Amino acid sequence: MPVPTEIAAPDDPAEALAAVVALRRLADRLERAAVARAIDEGWTWQQVAEALGVTRQAVHKKHAHSRV
Amino acid sequence: MKIKNPIKDMRTIKEILTSAEDAARRAGESQPGAEHLLLAALEHPEGSARRAFERVGADPDAFGAAVAEQHVGALRTLGIEPPPEETLAPPPEAKPSRWYRANASLQSAFKRAGELARDDGTWLKGAHVVAAVAGMEHGSAARALRAMGVDREALAAAAAAEARAAPPR
Repeated sequence: MPVPTEIAAPDDPAEALAAVVALRRLADRLERAAVARAIDEGWTWQQVAEALGVTRQAVHKKHAHSRV
Repeated sequence: MKIKNPIKDMRTIKEILTSAEDAARRAGESQPGAEHLLLAALEHPEGSARRAFERVGADPDAFGAAVAEQHVGALRTLGIEPPPEETLAPPPEAKPSRWYRANASLQSAFKRAGELARDDGTWLKGAHVVAAVAGMEHGSAARALRAMGVDREALAAAAAAEARAAPPR
């Protein structure tokens, strides 16, 4: 059985907000790596968009410039 | 008050902004924030930003690492150990654009730095950027400065004094 990861936001608002910033930053970097890998492996932009739950236009606009 | 040397002013501004973009990209971020603007000012050969740091006994070369460390520390408060750098995406490519794209924190710091320079009646110096960023209470730059043990008010005062003292290039 998978062990659930407990994520408890820090009580201090400044700490909690800084954690959100760091998470967004990490998520952005993970997204770029994952999208690049999917495209390299032959995924279409439409498939990547579906997997991310966003429109093809959105994913293309955000990532295509680094793939040309 | 008039800007005394608009050509020099424009060149310093352009170099600092371009270097802030590079600093953000090296950190794996697509848009620069106030922390990257400060890093750029500290790297600029004009030197007044570095001298402002040195006035309060802070190491200008330690700021970049302090920013990175506070991101890691913030993730750890959530119980998340950040993955190794090499597994993350390489820095984003420069996106050709007619506009300068930056986070709100950079825009606000840059605007304030420009106001400080105008009040001093000089071209924009790195020390004005230091004073502007030191005036920000929250955000990545403020947290990194705190982690370095830098008193923001003391740094802002030192930067203001440096901005008035620094000889023009």
